Amino acid sequence: MLNEQEHIDKLMLELRRGTITIGVLSQLSIPQYGYSLVTILNEKGVQVEPGTLYPLLRRLEKQGLLESLWDTNEARPRKYYKLSEMGTEVYEQLCKEWESMVASLNHLIHTGKGEEDGND
Amino acid sequence: MEMIDRYIYAVTQKLPQSQREEIAIELRGLIEDMLEERVGNREINKKDMESVLLELGSPREMANKYRGTKRYLIGPELYDSFLIVLKIVLISMTAGLGIVFVIETIINPVEILDHFVGLIVSLVTAVPQALGWVTISFAIADYYGGIKTKDLGLDKTWHPSMLSAVPDPKRRIKRSEPIVSIIFYVIVMVLFAFSSNFFGVYVFNDGGFREVVPFLNEDTFSQFMPFVLLLLAIFIVKESIKLISGKWTMKLVGYTVVINLLGIMVVSFLITGDAFWNPEFMSDLVHAGIVTEGSEGYQIGESIWENSTRIIVILFLVGLVWDTIDGFIKARKR
Repeated sequence: MLNEQEHIDKLMLELRRGTITIGVLSQLSIPQYGYSLVTILNEKGVQVEPGTLYPLLRRLEKQGLLESLWDTNEARPRKYYKLSEMGTEVYEQLCKEWESMVASLNHLIHTGKGEEDGND
Repeated sequence: MEMIDRYIYAVTQKLPQSQREEIAIELRGLIEDMLEERVGNREINKKDMESVLLELGSPREMANKYRGTKRYLIGPELYDSFLIVLKIVLISMTAGLGIVFVIETIINPVEILDHFVGLIVSLVTAVPQALGWVTISFAIADYYGGIKTKDLGLDKTWHPSMLSAVPDPKRRIKRSEPIVSIIFYVIVMVLFAFSSNFFGVYVFNDGGFREVVPFLNEDTFSQFMPFVLLLLAIFIVKESIKLISGKWTMKLVGYTVVINLLGIMVVSFLITGDAFWNPEFMSDLVHAGIVTEGSEGYQIGESIWENSTRIIVILFLVGLVWDTIDGFIKARKR
């Protein structure tokens, strides 16, 4: 049996997994390479591990949401990712969905208690 | 830096050839970035490298993340059909082996033990094989992703009008009932197959086991055994049908009637004949020292023994008739 904390951790992991993509897309209107993105996201309070982010970036690129460019001018070669045209549109749509989801859930959370027999 | 090379090699080795080179460069860049952040201008030592690699996780996990999320043999798309196919394969295979066994026994009843052992051996070897082959086939189908549930035609023709009515709770057959029955029949079957001597009065003295006074006639039992086993096998089939059906239907009642009639016939034929029971039962009991001849206990024992044939037949008849009527009543409920 899982204890309370383990349940919370597991559920948070699932929640986070779904939101990381939005977080990533939100930062890629300007090109970033993997580790700079990790740093930015963590600074802004979105916990993401490089081991998760790097494969995710590749996947999003493969799906056509991101475009990439190798920069070989610097000391070490880096792959920069930015939103593709489709990625931009998908991101905007996702934001709307997210807003409405947050609104609905907030509504549920705040009105859920004590109003069980509301007007039907 | 050798440790990093090893790490990158370990990861990329588990990835498709086409992606290796790029991922290797990417990973190296990442590790160097992480090291730089940790160390600043200080010299990089082994500990720093270890902690960075530990943070990235084992090469296997890393490679899995790059490969994508597929970490199952048979995905949800195919799982249902996998189960259906597996059940049908296992049931029909078992039935096939059972038929082989029955035919062998009819041809050569004397070697029924060998046949039965052969059946068990076949089952023990064949069931894992069937399981393995079905699983492998589905795993391959899943891997190449060509076959989706839709293509199998399982979903295509579906329409809400095809939904069968939810069975009334009273029509439902609890899964546990047929399963328990099957287990019971199988055990009885195995006991019968190995020795008719398992059925009898167990005699103990001085805390130790001495002998069994058998209910059945050992001399003639080998003639009866095929019928007993066949009957049990048929009952097992009946319970399997119940298990699969999951609810009482008129069709199921039909099967039950046929099988129960067969059962009643076989049992009446077996039990009412003199040769089925141990003719020496009472004197064996005396011999074993359980009762003394002429005592009150002896008379009670004798009357029970002599009536038992009738009692068993009646109990059996009532049981089977009840099974049929019960099914009929439940099937009629809508």
